[in-house]
Amino acid sequence: MANVDVHPNPAVSPPLRWRELWLKEDWWAIWLGLGIVVAAYAFFAGGGSIRWIAVTPAKWSTWPQLGAHFAANYDRYIVQFLAWLAAFSLALTALGHKARDFIPSFLILYALSVVIFTLGQWDKAATYNLEPPLVALAVGLVLSNLVGLPRWLDAGFRVEFYVKTGIVLLGATLPFTLIVWAGPAAILQASIVSVVTFAVIYGVAVRLGLDKRLAATLGAGGAVCGVSAAIAVAGAVGAKREHAPIAITTVILWAIVMIFVLPFVAQYLHLPAGVGGAWIGTSEFADAAGFAAAQTYGNLAGHGAVAGTSEQAIVAYTLIKVVGRDVWIGIWAFVLAIIATTQWERAETGGKPQAAEIWWRFPKFVIGFLAASLLITLATTGYSLADYNKSVVPALVTPIKDLRTWAFIFCFLSIGLTTRFGELASAGKKPFLAFSAGAIVNVIVGFLLSAFVFAAHWESLAP
Amino acid sequence: MTTITPATPHPLRECRTCRHFRNDAAFLEAAFAGLTSMSSGYGSVRAEDGICLRHDRYLRAHASCADHAPRVAERAGPAAG
Repeated sequence: MANVDVHPNPAVSPPLRWRELWLKEDWWAIWLGLGIVVAAYAFFAGGGSIRWIAVTPAKWSTWPQLGAHFAANYDRYIVQFLAWLAAFSLALTALGHKARDFIPSFLILYALSVVIFTLGQWDKAATYNLEPPLVALAVGLVLSNLVGLPRWLDAGFRVEFYVKTGIVLLGATLPFTLIVWAGPAAILQASIVSVVTFAVIYGVAVRLGLDKRLAATLGAGGAVCGVSAAIAVAGAVGAKREHAPIAITTVILWAIVMIFVLPFVAQYLHLPAGVGGAWIGTSEFADAAGFAAAQTYGNLAGHGAVAGTSEQAIVAYTLIKVVGRDVWIGIWAFVLAIIATTQWERAETGGKPQAAEIWWRFPKFVIGFLAASLLITLATTGYSLADYNKSVVPALVTPIKDLRTWAFIFCFLSIGLTTRFGELASAGKKPFLAFSAGAIVNVIVGFLLSAFVFAAHWESLAP
Repeated sequence: MTTITPATPHPLRECRTCRHFRNDAAFLEAAFAGLTSMSSGYGSVRAEDGICLRHDRYLRAHASCADHAPRVAERAGPAAG
């Protein structure tokens, strides 16, 4: 466990309630993501586009080509950097971070992101498996674990903030009708796997003699949304202080292994992009890690290495993970809190769980994801398919998609840059065994559901 | 484990108002190694949970116990992350 200052706060803050609109990262991801979407639409409606600022490295094969691209577009990168910097600085300052730490840190993150994005656009990148999400993760892990970075730089490596912002932007690139059509199957598949995974981890953990609160914390980490679910349930059940770090370590280790393993096993099994994305959505543990794996699989589809399209992998993953699993965390936490306070430790704590906590724990960025989808769907309803592909896609959808890609690269790099293996708490053999049992069952059940039971559904996904 | 003596649930005795309770996001990110790698102390899912320094437990802000030690009330201070 980290050595921290444990002096209690001298003063009481009022309950957070609706002040979370500006004091929680989820809401800032919404404001930022929807702000970009609204701005993009405003430009589009006025006959323009945000394409200029949504610059990305172009495909290249020679150094002169690459040099010419940056010589012609350096001003666009500078303005884009400043726009991201201003938006993230505003949000993170409101959340209590120091701008003086964030600014140099984000400068490093952006520079590294440009390099990794550029590498991914090299025409030989696929030949050498230089998938940007994996390269970003690997570079980040090397820098944080072998080179070593000062702790204050973490101010700019906000994994969750970047992935949530990216998810809101992703919503704008998906027709709302697709979410409505594919959502129920995603919820059904995810629910089956979540319940089975939780039951296995919890059952094995209790059988191994672990505290029920630790068992529940580990179970939620494997079944719902990784580290976020683990800490939500740890708090709900009143876990011991050391339980959360044990679950965090276990989830991180498994999630990183899965980022590298799932896409290539799916490719080896010749799974179409949508099926592979659904499997990753079912069997990855944390949103950010899953996006790295799903984006990698999507890129493999983009290179023609697997059937389907890049977007199918991303969309199937998002529907399963975000719509199918993440949104239920409040209910998991509430139910487990009731069990904990009425069955496990009636004599130890007071204060009944309140149903309102289902809402307060709801991952609000999902609202932004749905709102962005609805907004763009309604705004482009009057277009024929031909007009949509001719004018809406290049002027409105593609720039938003490009900014989404930037947000995800910031996220993937940040995962590596903040994962210091030497600082993780020791998980212990029994928690690791219990979690691993659930992870193995999860992978098998997730594969069966994705590749057989719901295969036609995911294969025909048409974003 | 430390046994926590139950108290009658009452808003004034909630962990949220106890001086043994720390739930600011930065504190939790420092206390829980690895939290920022794939999650955050500033996310909605955490609600207002925090660490009880007296009992070494991670608790809901609305939990309570007989060891509650009130903090100074504040009109409008920095919020829990």
